[in-house]
Amino acid sequence: MWRLVRRTWAVMRRPSVHFSLGFLTLGGFLMGVVFWGGFNTALEATNTEAFCISCHEMRDNVFQELRQTIHYTNRSGVRASCPDCHVPHRWTNKIARKMQASKEVWGKIFGTISTREKFLAHRLTLARNEWARLEANDSLECRNCHSAESMDITRQSSRAVQAHERFLFSGEQTCIDCHKGIAHRLPDMRAAALRPDPAAMGDARRFLAAMEE
Amino acid sequence: MSGITRRDVIKAQAVAAAAVAAGLPVPALAQNLTTDAALTGLQWAKAPCRFCGTGCSVMVATKNGRVVATHGDAEAEVNRGLNCVKGYFLSKIMYGSDRLTQPLLRKRDGVFHKDGEFTPVSWDEAFDIMEEKWKATLKAKGPQAIGLFGSGQWTIWEGYAALKLMKAGFRSNNIDPNARHCMASAVAGFMRTFGIDEPMGCYDDIEYADAFVLWGSNMAEMHPILWTRITDRRFSFPHVKVAVMSPYRTRSFDLADIPVIFKPHSDLYILNYLANEIIRRGKVNEAFVTDFVNFKRGNANIGYGLRPEDPREQAAEHAHDANDAHPITLEEYAEFVAPYTLEKTVEVSGVPASTLEQLVEIYADPDVKVLSSWTMGVNQHTRGTWVNNLIYNLHLLTGKIATPGNSPFSLTGQPSACGTAREVGTFSHRLPADLQVANPEHRAHSEELWKIPPGTIPDWVGRHAVEHNRDLKDGKINVYWTQVTNNIQAGANLLEEGLPGFRNPENFIVVSDVYPTATCEAADLILPTAMWVEKEGAYGNTERRTQFWRQMVSAPGEAKSDLWQLVEFSKRFKVEEVWPPELITPEYAGKTLFDVLYANGQVDAFERSDEDLVYANQESEAFGFYIQKGLFEEYAGFGRGHGHDLAPFDLYHTVRGLRWPVIDGKETRWRFNRDHDRYAAGEKGFKFYGHADGRAVIFALPYEPPAESPDEEYPFWLSTGRVLEHWHSGSMTQRVPELFRAVPDAVCFMHPDDAAALNVRRGSAVRIVSRRGTMETRVETRGRTTPPKGLVYVPWFDARQLINKVTLDATCPISKQTDYKKCAVRIEPV
Amino acid sequence: MYRAAIATLVLLTASAAFADGGLVTLRGETPLDVSTTPPPMPSVVNTDIREVRGWPEQPPVIPHHIDNYQIDLNVNRCLTCHGRTAVGASQAPMISITHFMGRDGQVLAAVTPRRFFCTQCHVTQSDVRPIVGNDFKDVDDVIKAMGKP
Repeated sequence: MWRLVRRTWAVMRRPSVHFSLGFLTLGGFLMGVVFWGGFNTALEATNTEAFCISCHEMRDNVFQELRQTIHYTNRSGVRASCPDCHVPHRWTNKIARKMQASKEVWGKIFGTISTREKFLAHRLTLARNEWARLEANDSLECRNCHSAESMDITRQSSRAVQAHERFLFSGEQTCIDCHKGIAHRLPDMRAAALRPDPAAMGDARRFLAAMEE
Repeated sequence: MSGITRRDVIKAQAVAAAAVAAGLPVPALAQNLTTDAALTGLQWAKAPCRFCGTGCSVMVATKNGRVVATHGDAEAEVNRGLNCVKGYFLSKIMYGSDRLTQPLLRKRDGVFHKDGEFTPVSWDEAFDIMEEKWKATLKAKGPQAIGLFGSGQWTIWEGYAALKLMKAGFRSNNIDPNARHCMASAVAGFMRTFGIDEPMGCYDDIEYADAFVLWGSNMAEMHPILWTRITDRRFSFPHVKVAVMSPYRTRSFDLADIPVIFKPHSDLYILNYLANEIIRRGKVNEAFVTDFVNFKRGNANIGYGLRPEDPREQAAEHAHDANDAHPITLEEYAEFVAPYTLEKTVEVSGVPASTLEQLVEIYADPDVKVLSSWTMGVNQHTRGTWVNNLIYNLHLLTGKIATPGNSPFSLTGQPSACGTAREVGTFSHRLPADLQVANPEHRAHSEELWKIPPGTIPDWVGRHAVEHNRDLKDGKINVYWTQVTNNIQAGANLLEEGLPGFRNPENFIVVSDVYPTATCEAADLILPTAMWVEKEGAYGNTERRTQFWRQMVSAPGEAKSDLWQLVEFSKRFKVEEVWPPELITPEYAGKTLFDVLYANGQVDAFERSDEDLVYANQESEAFGFYIQKGLFEEYAGFGRGHGHDLAPFDLYHTVRGLRWPVIDGKETRWRFNRDHDRYAAGEKGFKFYGHADGRAVIFALPYEPPAESPDEEYPFWLSTGRVLEHWHSGSMTQRVPELFRAVPDAVCFMHPDDAAALNVRRGSAVRIVSRRGTMETRVETRGRTTPPKGLVYVPWFDARQLINKVTLDATCPISKQTDYKKCAVRIEPV
Repeated sequence: MYRAAIATLVLLTASAAFADGGLVTLRGETPLDVSTTPPPMPSVVNTDIREVRGWPEQPPVIPHHIDNYQIDLNVNRCLTCHGRTAVGASQAPMISITHFMGRDGQVLAAVTPRRFFCTQCHVTQSDVRPIVGNDFKDVDDVIKAMGKP
């Protein structure tokens, strides 16, 4: 066995006698493309809704909730799928998110949210992760579709106009500040809702109105 | 006026825009300028809400003969100032612009014709044709051929007057209330387990309970004000848990700590599993069971209450003696429920094991006070009586009953299903205060109280609501009168039974109603009726609370109350025309039914007092005596001293209701409990005095399949029911603009996957098809009701979308209550 | 097909027998044994213009849509704009002071849980005309009709 390894190493060290440099460069490049392409294809495969809801945790909980919302059914039938909101479009951010997701795979394997009860118990943590991410990137995934520049406020309801003019266009708040719970049910925020505490609630602005098309 | 700012102008404009949008006149600059006390003063009086069985009290404001405002009665214990959206809009229910104001008779060429056009007639002419038809039918076929269909929305005295007219006057027990569709299983459940009707506990239980289990009750929409009390309890005390059980997700799930979606009909299985676990874990309260419980095994394989020729009835061994049971021991009972294991229950019900375990803990833990409540999911069930019995089993096994917070609580649907249908006994088998027509002693007692000849009340059990339609179709009942109910819209299997029955040329159908309903359309004679605060009334709610109200305004046109209609019609009959000669002793000879039943020295014993005269009283003016008081006091004679004690009439006009038995002016909150109920006094803590031995009964009853289940041809379960904003068939609430616009049309709630598979989507028109009929509606995949795959939910309030064309008229064979929650349908895109 | 033809025939003959007698009901012209065509599902009024209340204690209707507003054990979406401390930012009407009173009439430090489920009393309005009108008279009109200023 050891001899085989040594022989192979020897072959690897020796310059090629049969193949041209050009061939090797091109071949190496092509192989690179194949492997890299394979990697990316695999990556893209994990980047579809079908992949997300192949796990029952996603299908039975968050996906069913999404189906009740404007992001799933609406006038024009243009809709958001899971990765549109939960996976960054820029490559570096995407890879970073995917590395983070490996932890979620771990969770899947060990059944962290394998039942409805467990999912509900973790819901606040899960939601907080996403809120924090979107707060940090200025609601980038929202803005991939909803650009402030392209908003025609004459086609929004008056209270949405007010809120957007006051908080969004001024840069005072970012989308997720007000639109938490727009695509999924909210975790337990009862204390904050029943006894509105400006500090805990980040005052009402965060939830202000909206839910608009 | 110089102080008007730009802001004020903008505000005024907004008001104007809104007023125009709402179609209201604009009182320009008139705001707050009316200060004269003579003008701003309103006359306020109390009344129970017109809608559900919760029995909220409302304050009603009148001005110049019009109702101008209503709000929740802050002094009422039931609701303490709250109403639901329907209750808040009570002000408008009487003012729909198509109120019926004169009798309408189908005529052709100036005379009655079954297929004629509705033509206005006088009350005299209306009663003339009724008299003719009633007399001809009685003569030709006898009292079995006449029928009266009443309501849990009758006032107490209306139900009582109708009962007397039918059972003592016409000598026919073919009187039944629409409460048959609503509460009959609860009644049968009470009678079997406790031997006496209606809940032992009361709403106060809510504020004592640690856990709530809703069995087939969407209380958030159907009993909203009770739901406010449960919500208050749940949020105010974090240890409190709420379990909501239903075959589909409803608004009640919004408060559920333990949400349970179970497969239709598997409640029978789950209940037996829970009993089995309580026994297996040694959580039976043995002292309680030893002292207060008997065990019985009920007959099984009892059929589905269909027509006798149906193969499902032919195959049912105990269809004829469904109510029978024989004694067993606790050990035999334990053996009976032993096969209902966790594994099997998970399989049959589709409920996860962990959820079932949580339910077990609620019932088994002796320190958790539990209130179970249920309504139509349990009662409208082909084994509805059984499910009632099985719920009591859990409370009796653990001794969690008849103490504050421990309460199996059957909720009624209608405002006086308890007060009128059940307590007065307007069912085909009942007399007041739980007495039965089949019992000779009960009949004799009633005849004595009514001062009528022995043998007047017939000994045969009358035809029940579902049989009314079948008998009309078969031409066995030929004259038929319905009051305060809309059975063409509400009765199951409309196309095969209800409509052919009403339109059968052999029959004459009279419908008393306030608005032109679907039932009016199928009638031959329509009688315009006074409603709610247009008459003096009394209702009895779910917690045994009797509540009175005064007449506050006059009915429009010639509309008259059901009470006036019944009593006035009784004047048309001499006893010689309706009773056999052997009953007519000289003291009755030549008298009318009015003389015998209402001017009998009891009903006509009271005159109105000075203080009453603030309020009008249409009926007392018409008959010359305080008829409501007379009827009530005579009726109360049945229950006083027999566990159904009602307070003196006048007291009820001064209080926000009292819960019977009322003894020496004191109401009873927990019956059967020595500390709270004088009838339970004795050495032991409890006495279930409905049964002679003071014991309640635990029943061994198996799981049996539903009457109809989905198959390849009809792959969906259909469940029907109400929505918050509409009351029953919507005849009142569809005429309140705000309620109409809140929920204008019925829809078919459906799972998005099912919609996708059918290639339909939210808003698509679909046809719902069953073996019995079809109707069209639109798909809703979002919103308040979200069914699992394979089940659709369609509300029945919409006169334009009659879902009861599709439903099956299968009943619980014991209670005869229809199962509106389960039949098989197919959905087709239109 | 044959069955459908029979059914149609039965329906047609039945329609004649079940004549509506000229009564105007919510069903319009459609006889009882025939299916009405369900009207299109209306949209919800979303103008944010407050409607006049019929009397002071009437719960105001909601002049905007509330699709998917979550009101459950976890959160009350309505209070995020209509709560006492929220209206500064939202400029929405604050919920009534009666909503702070518990069952025994005492004012609490927060909204009473018995009023938690807003949609039990407050409802949205669809953009439809009622089938029949309502002759309820506003108290102002009743007073006017009493013949005084």
